[in-house]
Amino acid sequence: MEEYHSGDEVSFNPDDASNVVKECIEGIIGGVDYSQNKVNQWTASIVEHSLTQLVKQGKPFKYIVNCAVMQKSGAGLHTANSCYWDTTTDGSCTVRWENRTMYCVVSVFAVAIAL
Amino acid sequence: MDEDQSEETTFVVDEITTIIKETVETTIGNNSYQHEKINQWMSSIAELSLSQLTKLGKPFKYIVTCIILQKNGAGLHTASSCFWDNTTDGSCTVRWENKTIYCIVSVFGLAI
Repeated sequence: MEEYHSGDEVSFNPDDASNVVKECIEGIIGGVDYSQNKVNQWTASIVEHSLTQLVKQGKPFKYIVNCAVMQKSGAGLHTANSCYWDTTTDGSCTVRWENRTMYCVVSVFAVAIAL
Repeated sequence: MDEDQSEETTFVVDEITTIIKETVETTIGNNSYQHEKINQWMSSIAELSLSQLTKLGKPFKYIVTCIILQKNGAGLHTASSCFWDNTTDGSCTVRWENKTIYCIVSVFGLAI
């Protein structure tokens, strides 16, 4: 069991997570159009790659990454989150990304492990 | 005692699915998609779901995510991935729809 000394290490940094997620989204669906056949693997890749990058930071959190990809056709889309957790340690961030043909909303939740 | 403990500290998907469905039915029911009211419906679903979950009195931190989509033929895909303790943590996803609305609610429970 490692001991974490720095205060920064045990708090969730939404900006860092946001940047990580944006890079993953750009890398996977950056320049492509919405495709019914490929969107399944795109969403899977986004959540898996985002999670992998977050875990590499080596912080004592449980992570949940949620992703929604929607075709741009004028439909209304709303997302909301509510949480029951320890506000001193746990955190979340939401990234909204879009191109010509689709919207992508990714939410990341980090919940501290009890030490 | 051990058995009761085990039951109390497990994430029971069926129980939570029932709670979520009741909440969505109560909040949206047979209403049509209305741009003005969607925001408060969303808040109601998320908050009521969370209230019901905390009433179970289990030692979990909860995360509830909710998506409401107007039904007009658009493609929607959702996915999630988790990094947690498989022995205690769990999640369930409820998909609900009526004539004009899709609603997808995901609940994640992480043991303290």
